Amino acid sequence: MSMRTTGIKYYFIVLLSVFMFSSCKKVINLDLGNVSGELVIEGNITNVPGAQSVTLSRNVPFTTTNVYPAVTGATVFIKDDKGHQYPLTEGPLGTYSIATAAGVSGNNYTLSVITGGKTYTASSTMPGALQLDSISAKPNYFDASSGEKVITVHFQDTPGTPNQYRFVMYVNKVQVKSIFAFDDEFIDGKYVNLDLQQNDIKIYAKDTVTVEMQCIDKPIYKYWYTLAQQQANNPGGQVAPANPPTNITPTTLGYFSAHTTQSVTVVLK
Amino acid sequence: MAKALLSSILLLLSIACFGQKKYTISGTVKDQLTGETLIGATIRIKELPQSGTITNGYGFYSMFIPEGEYTLTFTYTGYQPVEQHISLHKDQKINILMPLNNSLKEVVISADRPNNDNIASPQMGAEKLNMSQVNQVPVLLGEKDILKTLSLLPGVKSSGEGNTGFYVRGGASDQNLILLDEATVYNASHFFGFFSTFNSDAVKDVTLYKGGMPAEFGGRLSSVLDIKMNEGNNKDYTVQGGLGLISSRIKVEGPIVKDKGSFMISARRTYIDLFLNFASDSTVRGSSIYFYDLNAKANYHFDDKNAIYISGYFGKDVLALKNTFGTDWGNSTGTVRFNHLFNDRLFSNTSLVFSNYNYAISSFLSNATFKATSQITDLNVKEDLSYSMGDNHMLKFGFNILHHDISPGDITADQSSSFNSVHTEKRYGFENAIYVSDEWKASNSLTFLYGLRMSGLFLLGPGTFKTYDAQGNTTISTTYASGQPVKSYINLEPRFSGSYMLDEKNSIKFSYNRNTQNIHLLSNSTSNTPTDLYVMSSNNVKPEIADQVSTGWFRNFADNVFEFSTEIYYKWLQNQIDYKDGAQLLVNQDVESQLVYGSGRAYGIEFFLKKKYGRFNGWIGYTLSKTEDKFTAINNGKYFPATQDRTHDISVVGIYKLNERWSFSSDFVYSTGNAVTFPSGKYNIGGLTTFSYSERNGYRMPSTNRLDIGATLEGKQHKKYHSSWTFGIYNVYAHRNPYIINFQDSKTVPNTTEAQEISIFATRIPSITWNFKF
Repeated sequence: MSMRTTGIKYYFIVLLSVFMFSSCKKVINLDLGNVSGELVIEGNITNVPGAQSVTLSRNVPFTTTNVYPAVTGATVFIKDDKGHQYPLTEGPLGTYSIATAAGVSGNNYTLSVITGGKTYTASSTMPGALQLDSISAKPNYFDASSGEKVITVHFQDTPGTPNQYRFVMYVNKVQVKSIFAFDDEFIDGKYVNLDLQQNDIKIYAKDTVTVEMQCIDKPIYKYWYTLAQQQANNPGGQVAPANPPTNITPTTLGYFSAHTTQSVTVVLK
Repeated sequence: MAKALLSSILLLLSIACFGQKKYTISGTVKDQLTGETLIGATIRIKELPQSGTITNGYGFYSMFIPEGEYTLTFTYTGYQPVEQHISLHKDQKINILMPLNNSLKEVVISADRPNNDNIASPQMGAEKLNMSQVNQVPVLLGEKDILKTLSLLPGVKSSGEGNTGFYVRGGASDQNLILLDEATVYNASHFFGFFSTFNSDAVKDVTLYKGGMPAEFGGRLSSVLDIKMNEGNNKDYTVQGGLGLISSRIKVEGPIVKDKGSFMISARRTYIDLFLNFASDSTVRGSSIYFYDLNAKANYHFDDKNAIYISGYFGKDVLALKNTFGTDWGNSTGTVRFNHLFNDRLFSNTSLVFSNYNYAISSFLSNATFKATSQITDLNVKEDLSYSMGDNHMLKFGFNILHHDISPGDITADQSSSFNSVHTEKRYGFENAIYVSDEWKASNSLTFLYGLRMSGLFLLGPGTFKTYDAQGNTTISTTYASGQPVKSYINLEPRFSGSYMLDEKNSIKFSYNRNTQNIHLLSNSTSNTPTDLYVMSSNNVKPEIADQVSTGWFRNFADNVFEFSTEIYYKWLQNQIDYKDGAQLLVNQDVESQLVYGSGRAYGIEFFLKKKYGRFNGWIGYTLSKTEDKFTAINNGKYFPATQDRTHDISVVGIYKLNERWSFSSDFVYSTGNAVTFPSGKYNIGGLTTFSYSERNGYRMPSTNRLDIGATLEGKQHKKYHSSWTFGIYNVYAHRNPYIINFQDSKTVPNTTEAQEISIFATRIPSITWNFKF
């Protein structure tokens, strides 16, 4: 809901700018620090049988190109709370994977990454899967006459249990650069119709839209929600950004998430 | 401590009782034309240089001096001085009507009647705004604004471009107590901070205390902004108003019973929403965007000893997008005050004060409708007494009992909505205080203002109160019955200031004061948002405490036409509040689990040069300061710059009266950018470019600067009416001041990132207002 107030505020600023003032945007050069070479761990295990993978890389200075050095030669394995251990084999570009495996809802998984003489661990519990029934499109309420669309997801939340979800949206196979992370604090047990508001890609009729729904555990929700808050276009100041709270110890960049996944694709009329 | 202070006061009292025969001079100082009482007018006795006084908030003064022949001088900025000779052989009532000074000539205050209050008074860190200056300083869209004018003073910083929020001596914006006729105004802004809730038509007097806080004020750490509404003309009926670019205003005032009672009603409304009707988009056409303010006040003087004042304020913002979202928020306040003179030396005011702030956010989207509401309601009973104890003691004492009733947030939704109805428990508590202070003129050159305030917070049931550990997990949960005490805090707040006059033109001053704050704003945005949430001190949140020492040198030049002052301050702050990462503050029963606590310090030096009189007047203010916070979990527990830390802050204001019809004004501001957190690196997560951060507030926004100009053209004099035009240009040289900087993937160069600066008001913004009075 804070996204909604932010949205209203943003809209208000836009209104003011359009009707009365000129707001202006320009790209500027800032003398930013150079903290690079920190380990980034991104690990996911899903309930869909197939390859499960962990990517290891390092961060780079703001001013360089978006090319992130891969971390090679690490030892990576995943254990579950049923006593199984799965070693991951190294592939190209710092990717470590298991060819065929699937996580099970309710199981707790622990990732171990040994690199540079240090061992990093993180654990995550795979929540129960919820069914994403459908996705639909409606006119953008901020600018209805433009033909722009807003995507709505429809699903039933399970009552009585805390659920957290993350949605990943693709428009014509291009990922939308917005983070959609929600919990059921205000929608527990409801049939939910949730708008995925974003200003990254304009969506029109005939576009192919895919939405992936992930059911994520609480620490991972906190991770994505914090990132989303920092991303929010919040004029006039926002929460001081910081690296989101990770479930990896010792602390480094990234996360390890055991989550369920399901995707729905539609071609908009 | 309290005991020692009381006994010393009693001792002083007994000393004051001896000596030669003494009588009281008392009375009220008013504007000759309108009968408005003048607050803070100076009364001096030529023959007794150390025994001056000033009128209180109701224009009343009282002096207890030995019998004799005296010459009294009454002075007040913008008015012609009045002299009065008296033979004091019995108690005397002297009411003064002061004529406005409309003449263009410099008022030369002769050396034997110096208006050097700023030198002599022990009060430091206080600034009184001159309303006629407020009305002339050019502002955004011509909406004259006391809060924006205030931010041009040294030690006071605007919270952002075109924003009415302000920071005083490093304090956060919720550490300012904003009082309108004694009622707390919780959200003093309209339109997310672009305009203040104070319609300057309705405002008579504005005083800001940024240090040396008098004991009668308390409850916030960094400042008290004491705003008093106009009482209304008790001689004649007048109607005045103005048509501006974005709003119009009207004020009606007049006598209820001539010279005995008067009323004032003032209203303002914006009409940006009219422009929406021209929009091509049907959604925009059906939208609402406006605010309005209503101020009203009435008073009646039963006799010389008894008077009643009733005043109220109501304001609202409405912002809604057709069939989509809506939000509205507003303050309402009401004050009933009763003045009573027990005798010529003992003045009493009893106030009953109501204050409310509420907001509602609604979603009208199909299948997702809900309404979220939150509010805070205060009821306050206050008693303030002042006793003129002799020609060198002025005693003030009193108490207040303030009841808070807070609804942190509720969501109501119907069955078909995606949302559930959610209710959070209301919170109740009392915030009480008792104080005593004495202004003691120890000698011709030495004056002290000292006092003690005891403040208490009593958090009461009913409700379930949880205690959280550092991780935000509940450790204890206890349910309390209605009225059962949950937690209480009592704090002693010593206040001391003193001034030593080196000569008629030079003084040095010192002050120490402790302030505590028991009501805390939770908002994870640095700008004004309607979703402000207030919590009281509790089992988790401790009272915020600030200790401030300051010292200053005050110097007047050229027969007091120029005032110069410099003050140095140092502040220690305890129990400051910050938020955990990803904190969710809205409609959250466990909101206190989202908080972390730390400390802070702020120090700086302020320079202020003011020309008070003449065709040309204005001021230059410069502040050099540092404000730092310290939280265990941030920056490894080391001090880091607070957001509002701005090293340099300069304001220049000039007003020039060319002739009887034209006057010109301008202001210039420069300040170091806010301390901000910028990325120090980047990486890829979930297919998105993500930024990494190494330290909190380790970077600076670019500095800001801006020049505004204005002009006022007075219409030709007519018997029946008067009109004037106000013109202004905001941001004359169209400087692009940074509003926000976004870090994002470059839109032009693939596979790189860029910093994008957004400026608002990045162009010259002209304004025009037509004002009338008849």
